Amino acid sequence: MPKHVAFIMDGNRRYARKRQVERQEGHTQGFDKLAETLRWCLNLNIHEVTVYAFSIENFKRSKDEVDGLMELAKQKFIRLLDEQENLKKHGVCIRVLGDLTLLPLDLQQHIARAVVATRTHNKCFLNVCFAYTSRHEIANAVREMAWGVEQGLIKSSDVSEALLSQCLYSSNSPNPDLLIRTSGEVRLSDFLLWQTSHSCLVFQSVLWPEYSFWNLCDAILQYQLNYRPLQKARDQHREGQTLQQHEADRAGVADLLQHHGNGKPLDAQKRQEALLNYTASREERVQDFLGALQHKRDSFLTDLTSQAALA
Amino acid sequence: MAVGISYVSVYDNHGVFRRNNSRLMDEILKQQQELLGLEGSKQHSVEFLNNGTDKQDHQVLSCQSVVNVLSPDDGKLRIVQAAQQLCRAVEQMEKTSKDINVTVLDSLLRESKSTPDPDLVLKFGPVESTLGFLPWHIRLTEFISLPSHVDVSYEDLFSALQHYASCEQRLGK
Repeated sequence: MPKHVAFIMDGNRRYARKRQVERQEGHTQGFDKLAETLRWCLNLNIHEVTVYAFSIENFKRSKDEVDGLMELAKQKFIRLLDEQENLKKHGVCIRVLGDLTLLPLDLQQHIARAVVATRTHNKCFLNVCFAYTSRHEIANAVREMAWGVEQGLIKSSDVSEALLSQCLYSSNSPNPDLLIRTSGEVRLSDFLLWQTSHSCLVFQSVLWPEYSFWNLCDAILQYQLNYRPLQKARDQHREGQTLQQHEADRAGVADLLQHHGNGKPLDAQKRQEALLNYTASREERVQDFLGALQHKRDSFLTDLTSQAALA
Repeated sequence: MAVGISYVSVYDNHGVFRRNNSRLMDEILKQQQELLGLEGSKQHSVEFLNNGTDKQDHQVLSCQSVVNVLSPDDGKLRIVQAAQQLCRAVEQMEKTSKDINVTVLDSLLRESKSTPDPDLVLKFGPVESTLGFLPWHIRLTEFISLPSHVDVSYEDLFSALQHYASCEQRLGK
């Protein structure tokens, strides 16, 4: 069974046209379907779900539609805070991934309150991508690493695939096992491009508000059919990463010895020691940097909540 | 080439195509001559991009095809290398972290100035995954699956292209 499923919940507006209702009604039904799908996932022991709720590209829509979506989101986050006891009881941790500074301030504050309130919950996880695109997320991760270099916390030679992954908005989650896109579109639309490189991709033609439990089971079946080849590919990739890291560390040690050594070649044992020391210091630097990054992110959210309290 | 597609890339997640680059090139040229004849092949030149050793910027002629051979190293590894490059620039005080954005990263990841992002991926084989294929470049790529590359027919390719033609991208709107 997959542990983490990601959804591109596409088709709300086409559903609205089909049912001859307002677009906003399509989005509202879409939200209800999300709540229902989350319950199904929990029943199936799927404890982490990531959804694409609002793309940075969606800001291009009409002002009415964007305002409507912002208002819908605000209402839902306010409702979530009302449900705090329930969320605590079920251990639901809510995270919002994206560039929150692009959103209206009051929505930012509601989001911050929901995220901070559920921060320590750890039974199941809902990650909502809001004001998100994968390219922005990756560029942001690179910017954060550059910030780490500016702060003297890490060196440019510490940059690796693993470190970049740790700087993404999704750093606290494992990669999705399964990515489902509804409404028949067969593209990724800038969603979790880094994280889903070895995920099972399932494209289903059903419109999101019409999603059924059987559609979900069908997708999970696809995941199971693809399990072994994907596991193998992932393992191979991880092996490659480890080799690359070893080589990078070796090059780093060679560089260090060249600049600080006394010119005499080291014997094999001393070289091995130098390599171990280098790796250990790199890992320590990286941990300190990641701690500072987490602190920066936590403070951003707590500042928003204290603003909200004063308001 | 016959349908007029200017840029074609091939990928396998074990890097086999990349390692046997020249053999692939020879095979493509041989088949081109078989299909289009000697004269036809002369009119339709094919350029092979050999990642990293990209030649000087050229004029894209109306009949020219560009073939690119890709492997997993062109995916996340390339992005990491670009990130290292930017961080080194910051280390050397040539850039600040605030200078880093999607546009800057995208220009570092462009194979060459003229190669566009893939519009369509034809995926052969039963595995439902991108298996590490160019994560950065596939944000708007349409994915169409075909069961196998062995004995794939022109009809298969054509119906995949018809499917592609019916895709409507709203680009967020």
